[in-house]
Amino acid sequence: MTRPRQIVAFGGGGFSMEAGNPHLDEYVLGLAGAAGRDRPKICFLPTASGDADHYIVRFYRHFPASRCESSHVSRSRRDCGTDDVRAHLLDQDLIYVGGGSVICLMGVLRAHRLDVALREAWEAGVVLCGLSAGSLCWFAEAMTGYHGASRPVEGIGLIPASNAVHYDKEAHRRPAYHTAVGGGMPGGYAVDDGAALHFVGESLARVVASRPDARAYRVDKVGGEVAEVPLPVDYLGAAAGPEPALAA
Amino acid sequence: MPPEPGARRGGRVPTIFAMGGGGFTMEPGNPAFDDYVLTLAPAREPRICLLPTAGGDSEDQIRRFHATFDDQLCEPTHISLFPLGTRPIPLRDHLLAQDIIYVGGGSMINLLALWRAHELEEILREAWHAGIVLAGLSAGSMCWFEWGITKSAGRPQPTRGLGCLPGSNSVHYDGEPERRPCYLAAVAAGDIPAGWGVDDGAGLLFRGTRLAEVVASRPGVRAFRVHAVDGVAVEEAVEPRLLAARPHADRTTPLAVDELRALRAARLGFRRG
Repeated sequence: MTRPRQIVAFGGGGFSMEAGNPHLDEYVLGLAGAAGRDRPKICFLPTASGDADHYIVRFYRHFPASRCESSHVSRSRRDCGTDDVRAHLLDQDLIYVGGGSVICLMGVLRAHRLDVALREAWEAGVVLCGLSAGSLCWFAEAMTGYHGASRPVEGIGLIPASNAVHYDKEAHRRPAYHTAVGGGMPGGYAVDDGAALHFVGESLARVVASRPDARAYRVDKVGGEVAEVPLPVDYLGAAAGPEPALAA
Repeated sequence: MPPEPGARRGGRVPTIFAMGGGGFTMEPGNPAFDDYVLTLAPAREPRICLLPTAGGDSEDQIRRFHATFDDQLCEPTHISLFPLGTRPIPLRDHLLAQDIIYVGGGSMINLLALWRAHELEEILREAWHAGIVLAGLSAGSMCWFEWGITKSAGRPQPTRGLGCLPGSNSVHYDGEPERRPCYLAAVAAGDIPAGWGVDDGAGLLFRGTRLAEVVASRPGVRAFRVHAVDGVAVEEAVEPRLLAARPHADRTTPLAVDELRALRAARLGFRRG
């Protein structure tokens, strides 16, 4: 059975941003578990943070050995683990890319040809997910990260669209993204903290959220004007009513 | 008033100090290399900026840098590229206003990739030409040469540096012996040019592209000139000058440390930014 190509791109959230709110992490864990392994294999890439020790420790706390076979790949430190990172990534059920600097992330991924390895993993059906920089990297183009001036940057390009994250965080994000799309950046997705885009193949299959008020938008240039359309969002919390089999 | 960025100050010669290993991150308790670095810039209170890029802007490296230099007669700052989005710093202006730029160890591949992503390569070449002292160990040494031997991707392999200095460099020559066979084979095969194998505790001082001296922070360490002769790599050992140990309790400075700290606190800077 061939596994579908899947990406879950968080606007922000998961264990590193939403302490005590497990919805987005449980959602991706559910997708990883669908591959049928008792303890899904999950590999964390803390690259965008400079492989920060505290981030790696938090990952292992949230994805304990009792539930999954966790690992991480660090390229800044000597104890980077496996020599053959490509084979290791291809052997996973889920690859979780942490937040930080998308400019640093893309620089390091390309230098180690991990952008190519991640594309191969995606094509082989390894679920890819991440937040913030770990969301932006999957798209053709993205608006840089967090606070301060936001500027366009090129991603790996698995999803042929653009992406803006933490959309609700700061007032200048919307005008900056609209200006970029108006200026020729491909249209794409703007995502609040707590919302996540679930792509199957290159198509958006579903938007899920860990908070009732988190939103996501499709932003396109239509006839010379930038149009922003809110997307339907499925809140993953208890109040959302019937939940698909993922919770089981 | 800060000097005009990019202008060579007072006839300063382009200077690089390339350590095989050592200094505050590798030799706690041995200040020989850290003291030596400060003497290389002709400034009474040199501005010294750490680039901890190769180590992923590791907090430990930054903490050790400040623990070493904050109490010295110098003006230490650091620039972290990873959190740059949250704490913007005008990279070119800040770097070109330094007397010394100190590059920490870590992954050479990441270092060059991150500098490229932030357009730092040209700024650092400009700094070198302007006579700002460029110092570094490990990845922060090899980066100045055309080629280095990196272990960033696991097995040792040659990778390109900035190329301010002609030739190649392999570090931790005694401390990480697995680099040596890779280095010798690459030089012998002509894959990379001749260069220098440097032990932990040894350092090469270049004025311009000419080797001015080889120094050591401790006895018993060496540097090796490595080149190919008829397809075979040949190593020629160079005995370094052993740097004098700092005399105990005699680090008299014109200003008391407390006074210096108060002065610094009053200044605007990027320190611990």
